[in-house]
Amino acid sequence: MKITETIFQDGTHKWVAIVRDPDKPNFLVDTNEYLVTHGGQGMLLDPGGAEIFPAVFSALSSEFDPSALAAVFASHQDPDICSSLALWLEFNPKMRCYVSWLWNSFIPHFGGTAETFISIPDEGMDINLAGLTLRTVPAHYLHSSGNFNLYDKVAKILFSGDVGAALLPADQNGLFVEDFDKHIRHAEGFHRRWMGSNEAKRRWCERVSQLEIDMLCPQHGAIYRGADVQRFISWFDDLQVGIVKG
Amino acid sequence: MRINEEIKRVVSVSFKINIMALNAIFLAKRAGTAALGFGVLSNELRVFSQDLRNCMESLTDLIHGCVGEVSIVLQDIRFTRLLGEAAQLAPASAAPAILAQREAENDMHAHKLAALRNQLKRALEDAFQIVELGGVLAKSAKIEAAYGQSFAAPLAQVSGEFDGIVEEIRSSLESLRRSAFFTGH
Repeated sequence: MKITETIFQDGTHKWVAIVRDPDKPNFLVDTNEYLVTHGGQGMLLDPGGAEIFPAVFSALSSEFDPSALAAVFASHQDPDICSSLALWLEFNPKMRCYVSWLWNSFIPHFGGTAETFISIPDEGMDINLAGLTLRTVPAHYLHSSGNFNLYDKVAKILFSGDVGAALLPADQNGLFVEDFDKHIRHAEGFHRRWMGSNEAKRRWCERVSQLEIDMLCPQHGAIYRGADVQRFISWFDDLQVGIVKG
Repeated sequence: MRINEEIKRVVSVSFKINIMALNAIFLAKRAGTAALGFGVLSNELRVFSQDLRNCMESLTDLIHGCVGEVSIVLQDIRFTRLLGEAAQLAPASAAPAILAQREAENDMHAHKLAALRNQLKRALEDAFQIVELGGVLAKSAKIEAAYGQSFAAPLAQVSGEFDGIVEEIRSSLESLRRSAFFTGH
């Protein structure tokens, strides 16, 4: 079963990280899911693949009633992001899925009806969660061509999807980055290969540098916090991406 | 898909019978009173060809319906497994109730699939009966050809071809009947 860790709380406003599953088969990539709650409503960010649904569901159930999930946010269209969609919809068929307009006719192959999907325009949009404004931040081509991060101005948290992701060895399973230099070695290959555009990367670095961020939460690996957030942005800015070895 | 290929083969052969029967009708007209019976049988073979094509069309529709339902049942199996695991891990959540709902829906889908399979089997048996009739018509045409006087040889050739084609259709249907799709194995 996955572990839940509350990474921010102020009254009903809460961010919960759903991470690390010791029982997960090795052939499935490890993913982080995040639950944002406010005023009794909940939104699950990158709900994960169908095969890990039982682990995510049971972890989430310990924090929040899954049938009260108002929405899920899908950073992009990959199966490890949202192939569990149909299963979440079994608990609340009225749940909405926010996703780039680019994928709103692709993701329905994972489940849902025309009413399920709310298209995010390329420039992004605000999502209202019981009075809390969450801003979708464009991160196109990092790695998906229709890709978004989600920024919570109040909690100062940026959910960065695949940006900042690290494929960590089993013995490095901490929730937060503790040793940036050691950690980033596990992120380098991923970013060089998965991120397709240096120009897109540059724009993203400029865009997020203007945001006040206490925590940068990727979909794989550990969370960057404090000074490691800016350290990561600078490291990423200097990195040449879109490269295949050999 | 092999089943579709087999159905296409039957349809294309039955179309061939239609053309052949049309030619046979002209031949019988030329033969005049000596080949009246042959002409009637040729016309019946045309009707047989159309009936067979209609039957194969409904068989194709039923097969498409079955494939769609099988996909749903396969998805049901996967979702039920995942919801079952979720219910085990979080027994106090809504998962056990949702699992029960899912299982009730699974039963509905399984019944629908079983009903479609039965319809499919019946449609295949109907096709066999039509082919039986086609076989009788082709054999009767062979007998009638013998009375065709100076046209007896060409009429015998045509009726022999009818018989050969009906047998070809029968063997295609046999192979459909033996396919895993129909046997359920």
